[in-house]
Amino acid sequence: MKELMSNSTTSISQARKAVEQLKMEAYMDRMKVSKAAADLLAYCDAHIGEDPLIIPVPASENPFREKKLFCTIL
Amino acid sequence: MCDQTFLAIVFGPCDRCSREKPLRPVYIKSEQLSYCSICVEMMATEGLHENETLASLKNEAESLKGKLEEERAKLHDVELHQVAERVEALGQFVMKTRRTLKGHGNKVLCMDWCKDKRRIVSSSQDGKVIVWDSFTTNKEHAVTMPCTWVMACAYAPSGCAIACGGLDNKCSVYPLTFDKNENMAAKKKSVAMHTNYLSACSFTNSDMQILTASGDGTCALWDVESGQLLQSFHGHGADVLCLDLAPSETGNTFVSGGCDKKAMVWDMRSGQCIQSFETHDSDINSVRYYPSGDAFASGSDDATCRLYDLRADREVAIYSKESIIFGASSVDFSLSGRLLFAGYNDYTINVWDVLKGSRVSILFGHENRVSTLRVSPDGTAFCSGSWDHTLRIWA
Repeated sequence: MKELMSNSTTSISQARKAVEQLKMEAYMDRMKVSKAAADLLAYCDAHIGEDPLIIPVPASENPFREKKLFCTIL
Repeated sequence: MCDQTFLAIVFGPCDRCSREKPLRPVYIKSEQLSYCSICVEMMATEGLHENETLASLKNEAESLKGKLEEERAKLHDVELHQVAERVEALGQFVMKTRRTLKGHGNKVLCMDWCKDKRRIVSSSQDGKVIVWDSFTTNKEHAVTMPCTWVMACAYAPSGCAIACGGLDNKCSVYPLTFDKNENMAAKKKSVAMHTNYLSACSFTNSDMQILTASGDGTCALWDVESGQLLQSFHGHGADVLCLDLAPSETGNTFVSGGCDKKAMVWDMRSGQCIQSFETHDSDINSVRYYPSGDAFASGSDDATCRLYDLRADREVAIYSKESIIFGASSVDFSLSGRLLFAGYNDYTINVWDVLKGSRVSILFGHENRVSTLRVSPDGTAFCSGSWDHTLRIWA
């Protein structure tokens, strides 16, 4: 009997917590997709010039593209 | 840049016990109150109220889920790729393997870049963790873990230590030393203890705290010095496979993805789940924040990658093709967020145009599954690790 009771209190508390979590998520402030998408575009636009994988920097400045040899003959 | 105003965690006197603590909104008889986390627990374990049964609570939960979908759908006025039609298309990409790091004796499972944009730490199935200089491909440090399948590794922000863990259920921190007489394994510090395998770990903004994700379904925040658990995050219904910290300097949130197909966004101070997204059809293997912090991408075993916007609170893009049938194991954004690099279990890396939703390029080279992929801190290259025992640097 006691076991049954403690099982039901755990499931009640779990169900209550789930309800509280869902209430909080349902009532949160949301923004329209059009505005959110516009912000993503704006960020991309603002930073695309600095992105070395899109606008390649000259080979001498990209340490991976330059053909330097790192071995020295002793 | 990232406005965390979608849920302000208030600090103040709790409406139930009057103690000064971080507060969460609670709805009692349609009134909104602010409770501290202990009072939330107490309230949840109180006996049944009048007219309340387990069944009525479950019904309430179902109707709330419906309401949640309704609210999200109301603001779905346009698709991201429609808004992106006016953006210039990207040109042809020539990305090649510039360096191949060979030395692991078995599958490479995880890797991370150092903030100096040059060093890389990688871990593999045979228990070895190696620190490489990516410019010269030299190995600078190597440590053998007492367990196999080291699934997680991370570089400390200072560059002076690395963290790793896996089947040993722990996350250990090793200080890096150049003293040839010192044995790295001797200075090892065990920080995190989980009850199942460690799947991901990451230092927060300093060397002092580590965030971990585990097969036991929880994430946890630890203090490195004392090994103390600072906060734990419960909510996933199955193994948590990945996590990523929000990029903001004052960032207090992180996102995690798991085998329950859910991606959850958490507040680090209160331990509360702020938002959750469940649109994938299978395990989420990797999550990564968009550079602005307002969105994140996920890669899953259902062969798709998806973009979720945090402020619109919904999925805004899916990156998939009928010809791609193998799961995506890891994803990362380029510096501007325009490109999404995703490593797949069919040995390839697909490069997606984040805004337009189309694939820009497909990279071949690995001879087995790509298991991990990270773009360097300055965006000049990205590194991929694979089950073919090698790591490749692409630029």
